Amino acid sequence: MLDVRISRSFRDFQLDVAFSTEGQTVVLFGPSGAGKSVTLRSIAGIVTPDAGRIEVEGRLLYDSALGVNLPPQQRRVGYVPQRYALFPHLTVAENVAFGLRGLSAEAKRARVVQMLDVMGLHELDGHRPQELSGGQQQRVALARAMAFQPDILLLDEPFGALDAGIRSELRQGLLALRQASSVTLVMVTHDLGEAFLLGEKIVVLDKGRVLQSGSREDVFYRPQSRRVAELVGIGNILRGSIRSSQGGSLELDWRQVRLRVASNLQLMPGSEVDFCIRPTQIMIRPANRDGYERENAFCGDIVEEVVGAEMHRLFIRLDRSQARYDLEIELPGYVYFRLGLDTRKRIEMSVRPEMIHVIAPAGV
Amino acid sequence: MARPGTAQPRLASGTAMLEGAAVAMLSVVVVLFLALPIIGVLDKAFRNADFLDSVSSAAATDALRLSAITTAISLALIIGLGTPLAYVLARSRFPGYQVIDTLVDLPMVLPPAVGGLGLLMAFGRRGLIGGWLDDAGIELAFTTTAVIMAQTFVASPLYIRAAKAGFESVSAELEDVSYTLGMSRTRTFLRVAVPLARPSLLAGAVMAWARALGEFGATIMFAGSIQGRTQTLSLAIYRSLETGLDVPLALSAVLILVSFAVLIVFRILARRSAVYI
Repeated sequence: MLDVRISRSFRDFQLDVAFSTEGQTVVLFGPSGAGKSVTLRSIAGIVTPDAGRIEVEGRLLYDSALGVNLPPQQRRVGYVPQRYALFPHLTVAENVAFGLRGLSAEAKRARVVQMLDVMGLHELDGHRPQELSGGQQQRVALARAMAFQPDILLLDEPFGALDAGIRSELRQGLLALRQASSVTLVMVTHDLGEAFLLGEKIVVLDKGRVLQSGSREDVFYRPQSRRVAELVGIGNILRGSIRSSQGGSLELDWRQVRLRVASNLQLMPGSEVDFCIRPTQIMIRPANRDGYERENAFCGDIVEEVVGAEMHRLFIRLDRSQARYDLEIELPGYVYFRLGLDTRKRIEMSVRPEMIHVIAPAGV
Repeated sequence: MARPGTAQPRLASGTAMLEGAAVAMLSVVVVLFLALPIIGVLDKAFRNADFLDSVSSAAATDALRLSAITTAISLALIIGLGTPLAYVLARSRFPGYQVIDTLVDLPMVLPPAVGGLGLLMAFGRRGLIGGWLDDAGIELAFTTTAVIMAQTFVASPLYIRAAKAGFESVSAELEDVSYTLGMSRTRTFLRVAVPLARPSLLAGAVMAWARALGEFGATIMFAGSIQGRTQTLSLAIYRSLETGLDVPLALSAVLILVSFAVLIVFRILARRSAVYI
């Protein structure tokens, strides 16, 4: 349980963050400058907020009203900053042992050996940090932070400084660590994929404020605002008008297309709403048959495409549309080739009603 | 014959050779200028058959002893008091920071005689706080303590400057992590900041010690030149000129050799404390 409610004024930045999560892995997600790192450092006790309250696993770390402000030494918080901050004058083993106090020499040694084993570092114990690869350095930093058994582990952009290849390897390592230990993990990232892969709970920050916090599925598939939809990379954020609204189902007019949406929102017919569709949730087939057989089906032309390593991104212009394009679709390369798609081809698309998310207008 | 394209590089390499020769010539001139006075002193001093007698004269041994003791105490004071100040200047910003930071540099720029006069005006019998000191029965001017004060005043900026730069080069993030690992501020300072700043601390200490050893102007103003009490090596060299060249040459030679040895030891130490980046 992590309960954070803090505010702090900086010269050109105002932090006003409040969230409360239960999950074992919490991701603070947002663009750079959102206030993620400051929030993390406030939990660690390195930055003191102007006002607010921080509680971790039932322990009160900070409360401006009660005058409580534990120093970082007493917070039992493992902190791994962005570039790991290993002590360059100490060996790997000395780094890991740094936070161990009140233990006998043997107990200390045993704990260090255990941590090095867990992290797969036992052969590197006598090396200096600057002799290690980025991935190894990160594992040393994790071992050092975990060695004194903190209540919570704070990771600032844990994969930011690493190459893509090592990143995926380390993500696996972190998933393993999460399974091996019950410690609460809080990590900061601006990377969508990482946030989705590692975060059970996601807190979306922007410009010093929490925009939304909740389960990963809620945040990624049911953003509460247009800004969150943009930040979590939902490709198609569209605007339509309500045609009818009843019994868990909405009908929307969007451009020339009528869409049925599964939604419990009660909205006035005629009102304008934002809605979004993930580019991977649109099904397509060549438009060579007569008539639409499926629900929410419509036709358009492929006007542009971007070929990625795994996925093809197609930009679609609807029939009778004047826009450069109306919709983005993402599909695996093999589907693209199977369907014999190409720029300028006309295709038929459909979206299942539950894959369309209507963003509730403010005040509804 | 060379193709047209190769003519140009040749011309350029001719210019480069000229440039190289010019730089080498200038370098030789500078090195000679620095070396000749040293060689001159050593040459004259060791040609003198009475070298040992000159060094072991009462004035000479008194001066050697006094310089050894006072510079050692000054250095200890400079390190002991200057290190925390350098750390504060490196890590925190407070109102008046610029003023204090500049004040710390000031003795480096001032002529030492001004420093000596200033010490008199502050701690002399009629100085700013000299009256209180006098009432308390403490007399500073023209004592061995005054020698140490003059050396400390003049030499401490060199150490503080270097130490501050050293601490600034230690990432504050390392200290933050140390705090979260349960280390107090003091332990973090001793186990993280000091070891990592050590090369700079060493360099600053050597510079400060050398400056203290060579101190002349402030010492003679504030402490005078009393043999056995305030007459350090530099002062003794100057004073003994009145009685001929033998003693000043011998003392100068000793000073040169000791300084040289210190610099060599420092270089070895600096190489051993690796640079971590």
